[in-house]
Amino acid sequence: MDNNHTCDSKEIIFEHVKKIYEKTEVVKDLNLKIHAGERLILLGPSGCGKSTTLRMIAGLEDISAGNLYMNGKRSNDIPCGDRGVAMVFQNYALYPHMTVRQNITYGLSVHKMDKAEIESRLEEVLTMLDLTDYADRKPKELSGGQRQRVALARAVVKRSPYFLLDEPLSNLDAQLRLHARKELVRIHETYHQTLVYVTHDQIEAMTVGQRIALLKDGDLQMVDTPSNIYNHPANVFTAKFIGSPSMNILPAKYTTGSLLAGCQSIELPEMWCRQIETSSTNDLFFGIRPEHVTFTSVSEPNTLKATVKYIEDYGNRYGIYLDIDGIEIIALREEEISSCGSTVFVKPNFEKVHFFHMDDERTIGYPRELAKTKPLDVDSIPNIAEENTDKKVV
Amino acid sequence: MKIRKKIKDSQILWHILLCLVVAILLFPIVFAVMNSFKNNTEAINNVMHLLPKEPTLENYIHVFEKLPFVRITLNTFIIAVVVTLLKTITSLFAAYAFVYFDFKGKGILYFLMLSTMFIPFTVTMIPNYLLVSKLGLSDSIIGVMLPQFADVLGIFMLRQSMRGISKSLIEVARLDNIGNVKIMTDIVLPLVRPALISTGIIFFINSWNEYVWPVLILKSKENYTLSLALQMYISSEGGTNFSVAMAVSVMTMLIPLVLYIIFQRYIINTFAMSGIKG
Repeated sequence: MDNNHTCDSKEIIFEHVKKIYEKTEVVKDLNLKIHAGERLILLGPSGCGKSTTLRMIAGLEDISAGNLYMNGKRSNDIPCGDRGVAMVFQNYALYPHMTVRQNITYGLSVHKMDKAEIESRLEEVLTMLDLTDYADRKPKELSGGQRQRVALARAVVKRSPYFLLDEPLSNLDAQLRLHARKELVRIHETYHQTLVYVTHDQIEAMTVGQRIALLKDGDLQMVDTPSNIYNHPANVFTAKFIGSPSMNILPAKYTTGSLLAGCQSIELPEMWCRQIETSSTNDLFFGIRPEHVTFTSVSEPNTLKATVKYIEDYGNRYGIYLDIDGIEIIALREEEISSCGSTVFVKPNFEKVHFFHMDDERTIGYPRELAKTKPLDVDSIPNIAEENTDKKVV
Repeated sequence: MKIRKKIKDSQILWHILLCLVVAILLFPIVFAVMNSFKNNTEAINNVMHLLPKEPTLENYIHVFEKLPFVRITLNTFIIAVVVTLLKTITSLFAAYAFVYFDFKGKGILYFLMLSTMFIPFTVTMIPNYLLVSKLGLSDSIIGVMLPQFADVLGIFMLRQSMRGISKSLIEVARLDNIGNVKIMTDIVLPLVRPALISTGIIFFINSWNEYVWPVLILKSKENYTLSLALQMYISSEGGTNFSVAMAVSVMTMLIPLVLYIIFQRYIINTFAMSGIKG
């Protein structure tokens, strides 16, 4: 197979982009740079504006304000057909009256592309996506997974510089999803398009994306690598949205050297004391992921006393619901713990905890010792996204 | 068991009722066919006695000998085909625009257009007649066809059908830089084909059966349509040659009936769809 299908340098820049439907602002002042050839995931809950953002790139939605640049050109008014975009829709949008072969080649043949070229591209994608045996079937004769592959094939065959995917795996079962995710990454690594992928599934986002842009109510919350988003969330929303079960967030107050959570005081390590003191705030949210909660049998200066309320059996581990002075948290353990109602001592792993300002829910940052283990490639930090990050997040 | 029996009883009642309705609806057709094989005296004297005592083809022979029947049928056919084609084409374009184009006042325009469905024919008849006369098209089949090149019902039905097509199919085509004409012919048309066929059949049957408008426009016998030929035998001007009138009736309904039988599946589907999707 010819692997030299790399596209030209095609980046996408959102500059103060807004989308307003009548009086509702669906996308609010979006500033984001999507690098040429990267896989960027637009992630967020339903109604956060991620699909609208994708459709604005495609030209299927008008931009209410701001500028969208594609390949260096202001593209707000470029018709969708002239943007060089291939898109996979959530419902696959296959032409029901055409066979797989016709579905894949229709766009090429309408533009009178050389027949030999069409055939060669068709064969390539059919082989790549394991569709050769289904070429003459109509969509209704295919399974969900096969339809999804046809939709992918139709987008891939265009060899467009921009590859947009709107929740393409949401109609597949868990096993097929896993397979399709790998397939998607493989396709991207073959063609190196600028890939923008919309999903509300964090696992999909973490496994497919090289970077993730997290949105909430039309606001960009954070843009970073999956690892940095997980380990260094910019705010409480990001912290809670990424990771399952969600991060535990406890309201807390800092008093020199220790933290008051509920009615209990817990000793903080030196590095965190320094960090909190530089943040000039004492009212905090203390964040700890369920997988980073450990237990001790005896009380220590850096433990919190908790009561076991409820235990969930996940098969490979247990979810322990705990009560700390009226605040519920969840901890994950591989071994079962003593029964409900018993008292335990919770020991946070302070190398994995997070602190956020209580007023605006932004992170207070991380001690030097816990700096991003895999720092962002400086060249790849989007300038505009940085502006955005400066303004809204950290 | 009791419940099942109750359901069965009510189903039987429904079936009896439906059979009755079908019998009432079919009676005029059976009546016309049977009387067309009687001679005029028998038809007048034994009109309700359905089976002819001495079946005869004389009425059909009369029709072909005394009337330019082939010409009349051809006129009716040409009018019906041209009107059907043009109405279908204009309905298709208008419905496409209403579904896939965004323009200011689209909702109001559609509402206004739909409201014309409720204007009685008699209101538009005189202005249309004057216009056709001014254009010098009276007593010509073009004059009959001209005011019928657009149809609100067709636009409504095709719009309903197009709205059933997933929007993303059209968006995929737009992303492929495919123009509207190509989208319509390659994507929309195959998907609305059942609705298109059924609206076409309805247009054809309506045009075929039309009486009032042709009677206003057409004067000479060689331009007549079948419904006007029928009137010659059954009106105060035409006399009461009842059995011949029945023969003309049978021949008039023959072509639309065949078309309906062939395409009835599409017609029923389209009406069912229009009902469900509102």
